[in-house]
Amino acid sequence: MELKICHMYPDVLNLYGDRGNILCMGRRLAWRGIGCEVTKLPIGSQARLSDYDLVFIGGGQDFEQQVLLEDLHRGKDREIRAAVEDGMPFLTICGGYQMLGAYYETYDGQRCDFIGALDLYTVGSRERMIGNYKFELAPESGGSIVVGFENHSGKTRLGSGLQPLGTVLAGYGNNGEDKTEGARYKNVFGTYSHGPLLPKNPAFCDFILLTALQRKYGAAELAPLDDAAEIAAHNAMAARL
Amino acid sequence: MNLRAFLAILLCKALRLVSRLLRRGGTAMPGSFALKICPDLLRRLASQVKTIAVTGTNGKTTSARMIEEAFSGEGLSYLANRSGANLASGITTELVMNATLGGRMKKDYAIIECDEAAARSVFSQLRPRVVVVTNLFRDQLDRYGEVTHTLENIRTAIQGAPDALLCLNADCSLTASLAGDLPNEVIWFGVEKGAVPSREKPEISDATHCIRCKAEYEYDYISYGHLGGFRCPRCGYARHAADIAVTEVVEQRMDGSSIVLSIRGEKQLVEIGLPAMYNIYNAAGAVAGVTAMGLPASAAIAALGRFRCGFGRMETFALGKKGARMMLVKNPAGCNQVIEFLQNVKEPSVLAACLNDRAADGKDISWIWDADYEKLGSIASRLARVIVSGDRAEDLRVRLKYAGIPDERIELQRDYAALVDDLAAEERPIFLMPTYTAMLELRQAVIHRVGGSEFWEG
Ligand SMILES: [Zn+2]
Repeated sequence: MELKICHMYPDVLNLYGDRGNILCMGRRLAWRGIGCEVTKLPIGSQARLSDYDLVFIGGGQDFEQQVLLEDLHRGKDREIRAAVEDGMPFLTICGGYQMLGAYYETYDGQRCDFIGALDLYTVGSRERMIGNYKFELAPESGGSIVVGFENHSGKTRLGSGLQPLGTVLAGYGNNGEDKTEGARYKNVFGTYSHGPLLPKNPAFCDFILLTALQRKYGAAELAPLDDAAEIAAHNAMAARL
Repeated sequence: MNLRAFLAILLCKALRLVSRLLRRGGTAMPGSFALKICPDLLRRLASQVKTIAVTGTNGKTTSARMIEEAFSGEGLSYLANRSGANLASGITTELVMNATLGGRMKKDYAIIECDEAAARSVFSQLRPRVVVVTNLFRDQLDRYGEVTHTLENIRTAIQGAPDALLCLNADCSLTASLAGDLPNEVIWFGVEKGAVPSREKPEISDATHCIRCKAEYEYDYISYGHLGGFRCPRCGYARHAADIAVTEVVEQRMDGSSIVLSIRGEKQLVEIGLPAMYNIYNAAGAVAGVTAMGLPASAAIAALGRFRCGFGRMETFALGKKGARMMLVKNPAGCNQVIEFLQNVKEPSVLAACLNDRAADGKDISWIWDADYEKLGSIASRLARVIVSGDRAEDLRVRLKYAGIPDERIELQRDYAALVDDLAAEERPIFLMPTYTAMLELRQAVIHRVGGSEFWEG
C-alpha cells in the first residue's frame, strides 16, 4: 500500500510547524510498512489533484496570502472544488482552512474571494485568538480529543448545512463564540489547530490516514503503534487546559 | 533640571538599590516607576550620550557584547544594558544608574540592545547615532505577530531616529528592505559568495518571495536560512554589495573561527573567539557598528579576538569531565545553526535539550517542527545520551522520536538540579540546548554546582 500526499503551497503556507504534519504522516505510514510519497506543489506549478490520495494545505502569513490568491484564481480553485466534491481527503489548517471557504472579510470591510469549496466564511476581528486549546472531535471524525495551538484573528462561521470538526473544550475554535471548531465536509478536515496538529494527536492522524487508505483501496487497516511518547505529550497539554 | 526629573531619578536609584539588596534581579520596575513620574526622562538622559542600538531577531546580545568589548578595549566610558533589560523601562533604569542625582550622565557612550517591539517606542527617545539590525527570522510568532510585522516595528522604530547611521545585514532580504524607504545612510555587512560552500535552499525559508513585488527570489548562494545572495527576477530587488564583507571563512573550530574580512575594500585576517556561522555574521555586524561609531576597525578586530562566549551563548562550564557548552536556541534558524555545530562534533557526546513555552520563549512551540532535528537523527549514533527537559519536555521527546532518535533512548528529566547532578558524573562532552527561560534556570543550576559568573562578564 502507498499514499500519495500532495502538499499544496509549501513555499508560502508553512507557518506553524506544518511540516510536522507531513513528517508525522510519513513516519506513521512507514512504521507500518506503508509507502508514502509527498509531492510539493508550490505556487505556479501545474498538477492534477486527482493523481493524489490526500491533500494537505497549511497556514501562512498575510503578506504571502496575496501571492497565493492570484495563483488560486488561475484555475486551481475550480480543481479543488471538484476534488472536494469527489471525496478527496483534505487536511487544511488555519489559513489553508479559511481558504477553502467562500471569502475572507478584513476588519475594515475589504473582501477577498476564496475557493468556495466549503460553506463557511471568515471575518477579521481586532482581537487575536491565541493559545493552546482543546476540542473533542465529532463521532464521524473519530471522536477523540485533540490538543493544539491556535493563532488567528479571523472568526469563521459555518453555513447551516456544514458540520464542525469538533466542539471546543478550552480555547476559541472557529470564532470564540459558538464552541465550534473547524469543519468536516465529505473527506475534508479543516481546523485552526497547528502545534503542529498530528504528532500529539496520533488517533486523529491515523483516522485521516485510514480515511485516505480506505478511499483508495476499498478496505484498509492500520496496525497499532507504540504511542507512549505521543500520548504523554498529548496528556501533558490536555491536563494544562 | 526640573523637580520631576530629580524625583524620578531619586526614586529609580532607590528602588534599584532595594531590589539589589533583596537580590531581586528586576531592572524594569525602577525604570517603569521613574517614567511614570517623568515621561521624558529617557529622552533627557539619552540626549547626553552617544548611543549605538542593536536590534533584529537573532544575535542581538552577542553583537552588543562584541561592540561593548571594542569600547572597553579602547578605554571609553560607556554604559550597556544587560540581557533582559531591553524594554524602555529597563533601559531607563540603566541610564539612571549611570547618571548623577542632578540628571547629568556620567558616561559618554551607550550600547543598547533592544527588542524589536520595544525599539518602536524607544528609538525616538534614545536617538541612537548608529543602529545595527542583525537579521530577521521568524521568532516568537505569538508575541510579535508574523515576521513582516516585526519588520514594520523596526521600520517605525528607525523612523524615530532619522539621523542614525544604519548597519544592515545585506544578505537578509527582509532586513535589507529597510534601506529602500528610509532616508538613513546605510552601511552593509554580509558574507560574500564563495566564503563558505553554498547551502541547499532550506525546506523552510522565512522569506521565499520578494518583499516588494512578491515574485519568488533566486539565489546566487545561501549562507544559512534565507541569508545569502538573493535576487528578485521580476523587480530587480537584490542583495547590495557589503561594505563590511566576509570574503573567506578560513577555519571553523569548536572554540572560534578565522575569517578574512574586507573592511571597505581592505582585507584582514580576523579571529573570532566564538564558534559557528551565525557568530560570523554577528562579528561582521559588530565591526560595522563599531566603525560607524567612529572607532578604528582595529579596535573591533582586537575585540573579536578577545571575545569569549557568555551567558548561554556557546558558554562553557566545568561540568563533567570534559566540560559542558550551553547553546541557547530560540527559533528554527538559530536552532539549525546549533544542530549544524553538533554535527561537527566527532566524539561521542551527551545532549540535553530543554524546551519552555513561557512568554520570553514564545508560547507556541510548533517551531520545533520547522527546525532540522532530522540532522540530529542522522548523528544519533554519536549522541551517547539524549535527555529532554523543560516545561514542554514531552513535545521535544516526540519531535526527536520523529527525527529518528529511537524513543527508548530518550531520557526525560524535568528537575534541573537532578539533571546537573547526573551530568556532573559524565565523562563525555556535554551539550546543553535550552530555550531562553530554560537557559536562565538551567544556567543557575549549573552555576550552583560548578560556579561561574552570574552575569555575562565577557
Ligand atoms: Zn521583486
